[in-house]
Amino acid sequence: MGIRLKNVGWKFLMILFLILFSFPIIPLIITSFSAGWRWPEILPDQFSLRAWNYVFSPYAGTWEAIGNSIFIAITVTFVNILLCLPAANVIARMNFKGKILIEGILYAPLIIPPFITVMGIHLTFIYLGFTESLIGVMIAHIAPTLPYMLRALIISYQTIGLQWEEQASMLGAGKFNRLRFILLPHILPGIVAGSSLTILVSLSQYLITFLIGGGHVVTLPIILFPFISGGDIGIGSAYMIIFSGLALLSLWTMNTLLKRYYKARITFIG
Amino acid sequence: MGELVIHRVEKKYLNHNGNPSKNPSFQLYPMNLSIQEGEFFGIIGPSGCGKTTFLKCIAGLILPDSGNVLLGKKNLTYVPPEKRPFSMVFQQPLLFPHLKVIDNVSFGLKMQGINKKVRFDKAKDMLQAVGLSGYELRHPYELSGGQQQRVSLARAIIMNPKVLFLDEPFSALDPDLRQEMRELVKQLHQTFKVTVLMVTHDREEAFQLADRLAIMHEGKLLQVGTPKNCYEKPDHIKVAQFLGSKNMIEGVVSKNKFIGKYFEVSLGYNLMNKTKGWLIIRPELFKRMCPNDLNQTVNNVHIQSFTGRIKEVSYRSGFVHYKVDIKGQSLYVIETNQSDLPLVNDQVTLQLNIKKLHFIPQ
Amino acid sequence: MNMWQKGNPYLYVLPAVFFMIIFFFGGILQGVLQSLGVSIFHDDAQFTFKAYQELAQSIDFWQSLSLTFKIAFLSTLLSALLGMIIAFILFIISLKAYNTNRFPFLYRIFQYPLVIPHLAAGYLFLLLLMQSGWLSRISFQLGWIEEIYQFPILVNDTFGWGIILTYTWKEAPFITLMVYPVLLRVHKSWYEVARLYGSNMIKFLKNVAFPLVLPAWLSSIFIVFAFTFSAFEIPYLLGVTYPQLLPVYSFELFMHGGWEERSQSLALNIILAFITGILGIISYLLSKRWLSSERRGWE
Repeated sequence: MGIRLKNVGWKFLMILFLILFSFPIIPLIITSFSAGWRWPEILPDQFSLRAWNYVFSPYAGTWEAIGNSIFIAITVTFVNILLCLPAANVIARMNFKGKILIEGILYAPLIIPPFITVMGIHLTFIYLGFTESLIGVMIAHIAPTLPYMLRALIISYQTIGLQWEEQASMLGAGKFNRLRFILLPHILPGIVAGSSLTILVSLSQYLITFLIGGGHVVTLPIILFPFISGGDIGIGSAYMIIFSGLALLSLWTMNTLLKRYYKARITFIG
Repeated sequence: MGELVIHRVEKKYLNHNGNPSKNPSFQLYPMNLSIQEGEFFGIIGPSGCGKTTFLKCIAGLILPDSGNVLLGKKNLTYVPPEKRPFSMVFQQPLLFPHLKVIDNVSFGLKMQGINKKVRFDKAKDMLQAVGLSGYELRHPYELSGGQQQRVSLARAIIMNPKVLFLDEPFSALDPDLRQEMRELVKQLHQTFKVTVLMVTHDREEAFQLADRLAIMHEGKLLQVGTPKNCYEKPDHIKVAQFLGSKNMIEGVVSKNKFIGKYFEVSLGYNLMNKTKGWLIIRPELFKRMCPNDLNQTVNNVHIQSFTGRIKEVSYRSGFVHYKVDIKGQSLYVIETNQSDLPLVNDQVTLQLNIKKLHFIPQ
Repeated sequence: MNMWQKGNPYLYVLPAVFFMIIFFFGGILQGVLQSLGVSIFHDDAQFTFKAYQELAQSIDFWQSLSLTFKIAFLSTLLSALLGMIIAFILFIISLKAYNTNRFPFLYRIFQYPLVIPHLAAGYLFLLLLMQSGWLSRISFQLGWIEEIYQFPILVNDTFGWGIILTYTWKEAPFITLMVYPVLLRVHKSWYEVARLYGSNMIKFLKNVAFPLVLPAWLSSIFIVFAFTFSAFEIPYLLGVTYPQLLPVYSFELFMHGGWEERSQSLALNIILAFITGILGIISYLLSKRWLSSERRGWE
């Protein structure tokens, strides 16, 4: 009984932390629906959809920005999958000389901020005509997202031993068929997880999009930035809700897909 | 199609730091072996002796450093495993978990591009042959370990392989199930007339199934022959040890006589003087004399008698195992149970046909 | 044992490594060259350490560096402590719980700050902490302040409270995420055994649980420090115009200066890359120690 009561205490403490952590979200939501919210009112007199109306009005260009963001994120995801599938395969399942160095190279953008490299490569990009273009922004988004894809795929590959491919090849499956019928079904969860992380990170990029896109490639963070740095805070809040919502949506999609996949109880053992 | 010939196949393994020159962590010495069509061939040896590596070299899963693998006149050495007419059943069933039983069984045929109707019909027949009719639409996780291994066998045999490899296929199963599976494999071998190459560390399994055996130790083939020959006439002390010889006595041959530390016996055949080696006496060669028989004279010059004291006795379903101490030499005896069980500390006289003794020179 | 068909592993990693070397390390290398005055796009350029010398002589740089260090240090300290405390509370709850749901609902909720983009996190704290913000309004309603200017300046302030608090909010869950799964390796039965030997919860946490998570904790602390030291978005939104944090300072030099300032900006970047790179290596070495101790039979 005593233990039980004590545990309630710990849980209470935890919930306190939880409130503390969710607290900052409240003013954001209120602000997006407020109209002329004067200090020191805790809640505004009037609520209005003004900010939301503006955000979704045709001249705000929100849909285009969301579309660009998603298009860039998805393209980057595909490139990442192509680059990481073979690399993760051997890093997860083989030992070879220089593996640590190679991992270091591939994981480096996790720790060295990507804007450093983007600023360095900027002149070259101008020379190649990559600035102010979608393709340039996509290239810039690959480095900061690739480590997440790689990590997710490596974790997936580590759980499938080489014996499955050996078995398949003894049954006459060539390289392509082994990839298609054995490897891909198994690492699908890893691909889903890696993709959702890639999309998440790509959506959140502001600085490198700005540096390469120069304001011409309009993604969601680019379009909302003027509003949050000294602009209309109502509109800024509405944009921020969309922005965070998009990020949460990509995570939620991943969770749903993975749950559905694991419900089919597909696991490789042995 | 002809026999499977393995010619000087050799493989050195790098240790984990990737330095091949300094103490390779494992090595297959050049291997020569030929397996007849339709034969059931067993490779046995303790775990870690390289038998699985050897099997994978033949299957093409590992590329040997040198040597050739030939099937009939065809050189398969550089043919990738998926293009070789072989199948393999591994220690684990390795059924593809995302495929139903019937899709698993027909996987190989699908790889060959055979149409669905044909391959499903064949798969159904095959499942019947392994006693799993009606399980077609199950998923692997719905089957027991033994059933999974049956599916795995069906999946291998459906390919109509020229050689079927079995890599310790029953060692993950319960003992009762193992016996059942051995019988199934034996039966499938006869029905489908497939050449089988099995690797195992279980000598009973090998003796029960194989037409011929190879005994492997630390990357070398020590002896190849019929189970009877390997057991009765081991070429190498390691073979005798592995096959469970109980009486291995170290000593020297001198004037057709074997002289051990405590034990001497005439040998039924000639050997060079001063040859060092081991005398192998199979425990079932001894014949215990009843007290009544003792006075009868032995006419056969090949029969020698020894007298000693019984040390340990154990009764094992129909057989009696006991140890006899003969002038300090302890000998292990197995006999079918006669009416009177020997008792510890009894004096016994044992007869031995010296023609059946086997000597392994060093 | 590997299949020989796998072929050369270097061929498999080649596309990814090639991309990274060209577009990531290539960018850094070009940054190094340009910071040294070398550029293929400028004929008159010549090799010089001028950018670095100017940085070393500039008060702005040193002020910026010390502010960045202070803010990164405080943010890391707060989030490390808070993240660890949350992980331990979750752990205690899981030890005492009757059902064995190892990743409780609460744990999942705490991961949400990780998903919120940094820009959004910065904005949340802006709305919360500014003088006309929500905390200020609550303080008024509670009677703590009477005028708007009595509320302390917490965003765009010279100390950097807004930045520190935002980072703490964002990075503490990251520390929890790194530490809690390691804590879960401590089996419940160990706690029961420890209790049989008369150990109480505090002793148990100190002697069994804490040593186990220490390497993972330290490793993630270095990651958080490297991040808070070099991230741009939050200080850009919540910082003051002078002194600026290093990444913001670099950005301003890059965007609004000429060729000379650009060299300085890139020199600054190289310093940042060097510092974060070192921190990353330390973090890796610590996590390796953690992995090898894991192999020694914690499972």
